[in-house]
Formats: sequence, structure tokens, C-alpha cells
Amino acid sequence: MESEKELRICHMYPDLLNLYGDRGNVLSLIRRAELRGIKVKLVPVSIDDEFDENDFDIVFLGGGQDAEQNVIRKDFVEVKGPKVKAAIENGMVFLCICGGYQMLGKYYQEHDGTKIECLGAIDVYTVGEDVRYIQDTIYEADFLRSENALSAGKEGTASDPARLYGFENHSGRTYLGESVKPMAKVIEGAGNNGKDGYEGAIYNNVYCTYSHGSFLPKNPLMTDHLLRLALKRRYGEDYELPPLGTENEDFAREALLRYKEKGNTAP
Amino acid sequence: MQSLRYHTAIASAKVVRAALRLFGRGATTLPGKVAVKVDPKILQKLCAGRDCVTITGTNGKTTTTHMITDIFRNCGYEVVTNVSGANLLSGVTTSMIFGLKAMKKAEKSGKKVICVLETDEAAYGKIACQIKPKVSLVTNLFRDQLDRFGELAHTRELIAKGLDTCEADILLNSDDSLVSELYKGREGRTLFYGLSEESMHYNNVTYPDKSGVLPASSDAEYCTSCKTKYTYTARSFGHLGAFSCSKCGKTRHAPRFYVEYDLAKNPSDEGYELTLCDGKEKKEDAGTVHLKQKVKLPIPGMHNFYNSIAAVAACVRMGEKIGDNEGLSFEKCASALEHVEAAFGRMEKIAIGDKTICVLLVKNPVGLDRALSFVAGASDADGIYMLLNSNIADGKDVSWIWDVDFESKTFPEKVYVSGDRYGDMMLRVLYSGVDRERIIAKPMEECAELLDQAISDSAVGKCLYILPNYTSMLALRSILVKRYHLKDFWK
Repeated sequence: MESEKELRICHMYPDLLNLYGDRGNVLSLIRRAELRGIKVKLVPVSIDDEFDENDFDIVFLGGGQDAEQNVIRKDFVEVKGPKVKAAIENGMVFLCICGGYQMLGKYYQEHDGTKIECLGAIDVYTVGEDVRYIQDTIYEADFLRSENALSAGKEGTASDPARLYGFENHSGRTYLGESVKPMAKVIEGAGNNGKDGYEGAIYNNVYCTYSHGSFLPKNPLMTDHLLRLALKRRYGEDYELPPLGTENEDFAREALLRYKEKGNTAP
Repeated sequence: MQSLRYHTAIASAKVVRAALRLFGRGATTLPGKVAVKVDPKILQKLCAGRDCVTITGTNGKTTTTHMITDIFRNCGYEVVTNVSGANLLSGVTTSMIFGLKAMKKAEKSGKKVICVLETDEAAYGKIACQIKPKVSLVTNLFRDQLDRFGELAHTRELIAKGLDTCEADILLNSDDSLVSELYKGREGRTLFYGLSEESMHYNNVTYPDKSGVLPASSDAEYCTSCKTKYTYTARSFGHLGAFSCSKCGKTRHAPRFYVEYDLAKNPSDEGYELTLCDGKEKKEDAGTVHLKQKVKLPIPGMHNFYNSIAAVAACVRMGEKIGDNEGLSFEKCASALEHVEAAFGRMEKIAIGDKTICVLLVKNPVGLDRALSFVAGASDADGIYMLLNSNIADGKDVSWIWDVDFESKTFPEKVYVSGDRYGDMMLRVLYSGVDRERIIAKPMEECAELLDQAISDSAVGKCLYILPNYTSMLALRSILVKRYHLKDFWK
């Protein structure tokens, strides 16, 4: 019998960065790991807590209200910063949403031009603007299509495994440097900056997105992608993530599509 | 003498209401909207010289408004109040205009009049200056439709702005670190209400949190002044509790009005008994006098401890302010509270044949958390029916359901799910560990049939708990009227 596998999740600043249902992403990682018989260890790491990359397989960093993001900035950039950067360079798997995404970048420029220094772990920067993008979104991520070729539905349709669903709520516009790839193409919504048609960022094993929603419950194949990356990194390239159905998530997705089709015109 | 503009505004509102009624429509906001167009100062004129109480905050406004109204009425006052939800300038104005007749009649017969006005927390900054309340109550600040209102710090600023445009005595929740901060700069006119720390502590020890895999997303774990994590000696729920900051020394104020309680009995039960207390200011040599009164909680659920003490505090303070210490004594107000009845969607139990349903409106994370706790504790729960819509009035973003700790709650055996976002809610319940077989999820178009099924599945003598959000509650209400011939007396 194969030995029991374990997944160690680091939830960074759960007491401060917990906006718009980000907690659901952690619940998804836990659920889809546990249903496969993988033991999950969840560790909250907040201000003044030690962060050691050897303790974890995957790191989750969500978004927060401005007040909360100001509370963590010093701890994140100055105290944990060097270790986080090293972990990223060593291929640690990260999922970062909205504020977390922005903070990994080089800086955040406020409306009045003030530049707030961020971690600079990935080559992106963000500019705050007045108009907020608030809407349901659809993206397409090619890596999911190749990874799920066998179960692939028709390209460009709802059953396309590349399709990602979310809800965006941000006033920041993020621009990507050369070493960073976008995570997905925007089908519906504004994405990174409302201009270039792309959403999110990938650098090494770091995945960043503006998608709340929560993101992972809506996108089980994305959850599996992150689990696979994290477990292969821990147990070797030969590790195969056991198969697991997505019928419940598909049910929810169909409900969402049905709602979008109906149109939402009521006050 | 009022101006011509004023009279034209009132007349226009009446015409609009008559027209709306002709078409069988409710008229809770449009008449006021038209009146404000005609006379932008109309609300100020309507409220001038009157004794007004305002209620604002993110949760518990409607229930608290309802309680305050009933206490005043039971104490012999004529009360003008606004219909639940109609709490913007237009709604408050509408209520005041159509309350004129009753006010004038009462005044003629020598009966005293009080206006009890629920005001939207984001609109408070703009309308408090017109109402000029004598007493202003702030319930709490929890995240609520952030896509509409922006962040909590901003909402608090809006409330602060309103408080500074009037001279009201301010009643603040001592256990909410975000709300109690409004005390700063308004020391002379602020009073606190809350739960007794001793009771909170006792209950935290006796009934420790059943922790899920993740704590619920919290709103205020860190000191707003110096960004240090608060230390809590006891908690009630959410970020409410006995907090203090080890660095800057900011700490919970001891409330004048407080609740002593004992969770050895279940606050989900009807007739739960708690003790309301008033630690009156010192009188020369007498020290602080603590008046205490046992009352049966009129509307169940632990969050109603706060609403109850807030309501009594507001009435007592108003009595002191207008010189009716006798008629609005602490004892009288506390006793009057027992006669309050629940409003629709606020824990009211409704008989449907030999079955019972209970509707709990849930609009934001803490409301859902409280409702789920309540249902988990209700001994008669035999099914839960959750409805989630995402219209503009609900907030377009439903991600907040993931902020709530479903994981530590026990669900009744049968879980029914509907609303436009039934898929999202089904998944949320499923991910908390409820088996898929126990969840029946149907689209909004089938919500009435699903209600039939849920009621028919429910056992005689047991209760089906229904948790809709705002627009799904409106839909549910009209289904209950049409399908189950319930009289629509909630308007």
C-alpha cells in the first residue's frame, strides 16, 4: 500500500486578509485533498509568526480592506519578505488573490500618485484608479486544457476545461513585466487592467488572480492543478494526483451559467 | 407657519401615494422622494421640534427599531416610525409625512409623540442633520455588501459625520471596537450598552467555540489606532467582546446598560430569560446604583441580547432627555420589552396548517452566522431552506457566504437550497461537510414548489427554518401570501 500523503497549507494573515470569501479557497484545497485521502495540515501564519518554507507545500495569500493591508505591510515586506521571495524562487506553490497579488508586485501607486512599496517578488506593478471593476468573470487558462485533455469538452464552450469562473472587485490596474506570464485570457470581465485582455499572473509556481468568488470552489480543475504542483514538488515528478469527479462543482457552474443567461436586471 | 413649498411637497406626496395605491403598489419611498424634489428641506421641517430617535449600524436595525417603537407605545406614547427597509432619505420622509395626521391628533389629545427612525448606515451622514435626533443609537459594524458601501472604516466615517451634525446623545455598543471608537471627541454625550463581561466570560468557558477547520473571517482583530492585535478576555460573537489593546491601552468601556445571562439555558428557545441592568450614574454618596430586571427575551437568539438592551437604553435615555424619567423609567421600559413581537423575516414563527415555519432574513456574514447558530441550537428544527439571490439590493457579490463558518454548525437533516445563486449556496453547504444526498437544490423559478416540498417533508410540531436574503425574502413573502393565503400584514 502506498504511504499516506500529506499536504501542508500555509494560510497567510487569515485574521487580516480574508475579504470576499477568500477563505473558500482554503476550504477547497482542503476538501479536494481530503477526498483523495491526503492528510491536510493547515497552519495560519500571521503578524510576528515565523514563516519557514520548509514547513509548507502551498501558501495562500488573500486580499483585505485597505486598513488591514496597511497593518500587515511592514511584517510582510520587511520581516517575512526575504523568506517569501526565496520560497518563490525555490518553486513553492502560491495562490494569491487581489490584494495578495498586488502585494507580491513591485509597488502600488495610489490615486494621488503616491507609490506604496510592495514586496517585489514578481515583476508586476499596480496603479489605483477611480472606477472599480465589479462583476462576474470568465477566463480561459490554456494550461488547464492540456492538463485535462482526456476530459476535454469543446474549446470555447462552457465544458472547456480551460474555462475559469470568478467575480472581480478591484480598482487597481495591474501591469505585467517580461518575466511574468498572464494566468488566463479574459472572456468576460476586465481582468488585470481592462486593456490588454489578460487576467492574473504566473511566475514559477506562483498563481495570482483578481478573482474572488470564491475562486477555487468554482474551479475544481484549478484546485487540482495547484494540488498536483504542490504534491509533485514534495513527492517527486512521478506522483500522480488520484482522479476525483467534479460533478458537484459542475452543478454549481451550470446554475451560474443559467443565472447569467437569464440576465440580472432586477433592482 | 410653514411655507407654500412645504405644503406643495406634502400634497405631492399624497397624490403619489394615492396613484400608487390605485395600481395596488406599495408606497414606502416614492412619495417621500417626490416631496424632497419639491422641498429639499422637507425632512428637516417635518422633524423640527420633535423628539426623534435614530437607529443605524449594519445589523439589527429593523429589530431594534421595532423594539423601541413597541416600548414607547407600551409606555403610552404615540410613535411614528418607518417601514423596515425604507431607511433612506426618501423612506424616512415618506414615513414622517404619513405620520403627520397621527401626530397632530395625538398632540391635540395631549399624548406625547416620539419618532423612531431607522436610518441606513451609509445615508446617516446626510440625513442626521435634517432629523436632528435627541438620541442616536449605533448597533454594530460588520462587513455588509462591501461592493456597495466600500470598507467598514468608510461606513464609520459616514456615521461620524452624521453624529457631528446633531447634538444627539449617542448610544454605542461597548463590545464592538469599531463602533465604540465613535466615542472619541464626543465623550460628553456618549453612553454605552453591551453584555456583561462576567456573563460573556462564563459562557466562553462553559461553552468553548466548536472550532471548524478555519475561523470565520473577522472584521476587527487589530487595534485601529496602533495596529496591534486585540486581546480578548471574553467574546460574544464575531468581533464583539471584551477587547483591549496591550500597546496603546485602548479598551472596552464598561457599559451603563448591560445584559446578564446564562447560556446554561438555550437562547434559541422561546421565553429565554435574561437580566437587563442599568448601572446609573453616581449620585453624591450613593455610588453607582445598579437596577436589574429579569425579562423574557421577546425574540429569540443571542444577537437579540444586544438589540434588547440597546432598545431599552434608547428609551430610558430619551426619557431622561425629555424629562419623563417616570413614564420611561428603566423598570417600565424593560417590562414593556417583553411584549414586543417579531417582524416578518425576523424570527417570527408562522403556522402553516399543522406545520410551522420561521423566517430569518440574512443579508451579510454575521447575520448568516447568527442564523445558522440559532438553527443549530433550535430543538424544533426539522429542515433548513436557504435562498440566495444576487440582485443589486442584495449585493451582486455572493462570495461572502464563504466568509461564514458553516463548518462548526450542525445542520438539520434536510437542507433545501434555492434562489438565483442556488449553485453557489449548494456548494457552500456541501463544502462544509453536509452529504450531497441531504441537499435539495432548485433554481429560483422552482422555489415555490421547493417550499411546498420542504413544508410537506417537515414533521408536525417541528419547524422549517427559512433563511432568505433580501430580494429572495420579498419573493418568499409574496409566495406565502399567494400560495398559503397568509395575510400580508407586514407592510
